[in-house]
Amino acid sequence: MAGPELFLDSSIRIWVVLPIVFITFLVGVIRHYVTQLLHSDKKVELEQVSDSQVLLRSRILRENGKYLPKQSKRDLEEGRLSLHSATPCHTLWMVLNWSQFHPTTGQQPKHSSKAFAMRKHYFNNAESGFFKKVKRKVIPKNPMTDTSMVTDMMKGNLTNVLPMILIGGWINWAFSGFVTTKVPFPLTLRFKPMLQRGIELLSLDASWVSSASWYFLNVFGLRSMYNLLLGHNNAADQSSIMQDHMTGAAMPVPPDPNKAFKSEWEALEIVNHHWALESVEEELICRDLNFGGMFSRELKTTMF
Amino acid sequence: MASVSELYDVTWEEMRDKLRKWRDENYRNSEQIVDVGEELLNEHASKLGDDIWIIYEQVMIAALDCSRDDLAVSCLQELKRQFPGSHRVKRLAGMRLEALERYEDATKLYDSILQDDPTNTAARKRKMAMLKAQGKSPEAIRDLNEYLEQFVGDQEAWHELSELYINEHDYAKAAFCLEELMMTNPHNHLYCEQYAEVKYTQGGLDNLELSRKYFAQALKLNNRNMRALFGFYMSASHIAASPKVSAKVKKDNVRYAAWAASQINRAYQSIIRKCDRL
Repeated sequence: MAGPELFLDSSIRIWVVLPIVFITFLVGVIRHYVTQLLHSDKKVELEQVSDSQVLLRSRILRENGKYLPKQSKRDLEEGRLSLHSATPCHTLWMVLNWSQFHPTTGQQPKHSSKAFAMRKHYFNNAESGFFKKVKRKVIPKNPMTDTSMVTDMMKGNLTNVLPMILIGGWINWAFSGFVTTKVPFPLTLRFKPMLQRGIELLSLDASWVSSASWYFLNVFGLRSMYNLLLGHNNAADQSSIMQDHMTGAAMPVPPDPNKAFKSEWEALEIVNHHWALESVEEELICRDLNFGGMFSRELKTTMF
Repeated sequence: MASVSELYDVTWEEMRDKLRKWRDENYRNSEQIVDVGEELLNEHASKLGDDIWIIYEQVMIAALDCSRDDLAVSCLQELKRQFPGSHRVKRLAGMRLEALERYEDATKLYDSILQDDPTNTAARKRKMAMLKAQGKSPEAIRDLNEYLEQFVGDQEAWHELSELYINEHDYAKAAFCLEELMMTNPHNHLYCEQYAEVKYTQGGLDNLELSRKYFAQALKLNNRNMRALFGFYMSASHIAASPKVSAKVKKDNVRYAAWAASQINRAYQSIIRKCDRL
């Protein structure tokens, strides 16, 4: 029902709407600094660092492996690659020694690169590949007994949830009994008891909301303001605590490295090698090189 | 002796900015850093604010390069006073011991850092640098291999290992390290070119073909890489001159070499013209 619009006292605007905005904002900023004070540095294990780098390397192999030479055709035909060790350079040493002592061909040892195939083999080989062989001992962290997680959880609750509840309750108590604002879209009647606490009018449009809902609207809406003032990744940003997963580049390691290894193994299995340099000379030759500006600048000889 | 600011007529802000530029771009012009930095620290220390600590670190390392132990010790003392118990400062103290060739003391210091924090890469790298400085190449290579087993993503380390292998004439392993670097930085023409050079040095028809391809890739990534152009020319002519190739391959390589020669001529023409104009 459209109906005639309600006119609100303009002092509501001055004394209710704006103060709630300020309060929410300031509380958010204070929360950010308190979190920074209580923040304790997590100590990283050597194994974690190493694992995260290995995962990164495998991912890069999948993406950029096409720039590496794969294997010479002749070695594919002779086809005996048996790489039994885990270290990159040791692997290479084994390969070279094999090709040197190859009995049947009697040719010069081919120092052909088997770059991509060797690396894929190092990771994925059924018996000795890194992802198959290395199983990290995963101690499932029991949330109740693991002390660091308990303190983290407590700190998180303290700084985020508690203020929200306290201030929400205070605002509900202090600014009750009148409508604060109207949401610009129509709502059904089911929203009335939720958004119109303290206002017992059956015929009031559900779009008119009380101050408590204005407060919650602010909590989420001021996120971009926090980003502006406090920079990215600030602790006042509550929406990030709602999300559980963070997919990091190299630093944050998933709590279960075995799962990560398995998924990397699968991803690497299906990758094929399409050498990006097949016809690079032809592409190069078809046009003149662009020497623009090569000899144009004077070399600076002085410091400043 | 005129001060830097008098000689070049610059303000202290410009000197500080210059130091920052040298820091960001990893320059090793130690004498210049010592000149500029010493004056900045002596005359304008109060105006620098929090920047002063990183400038102390930069000037100290440059002072070690120039054998200025007095300057290095004073910088180190300031840093120790401000950051007691910091691993970063301990590493600087270790570097000073290295500069004085007190290698055992330095090793003890680095070991204490590593006991405290096993993931500290800086201390491990200094230990390997000491081995290299003492000329113990095989031990340095062995340690670097172990380091890389754990920190596979450290590109600086891969590059250092490739250099060590090249010095030992172990080109195949150097090629492996350069492949790692190419994989992580596919658009860096310098790695492509270095890889191609190593392949060229290894010799043999397959390697020459590979080197030619990678010289071409380096040229594609950066048209102005003259070294890659010369390398392309040489590998193509080498293959063309080899008796074991088929006629088609020979023809192709002759074509490549001719193209490369014409490009080299073009490049030198442009500079001759420029010189004539001057």
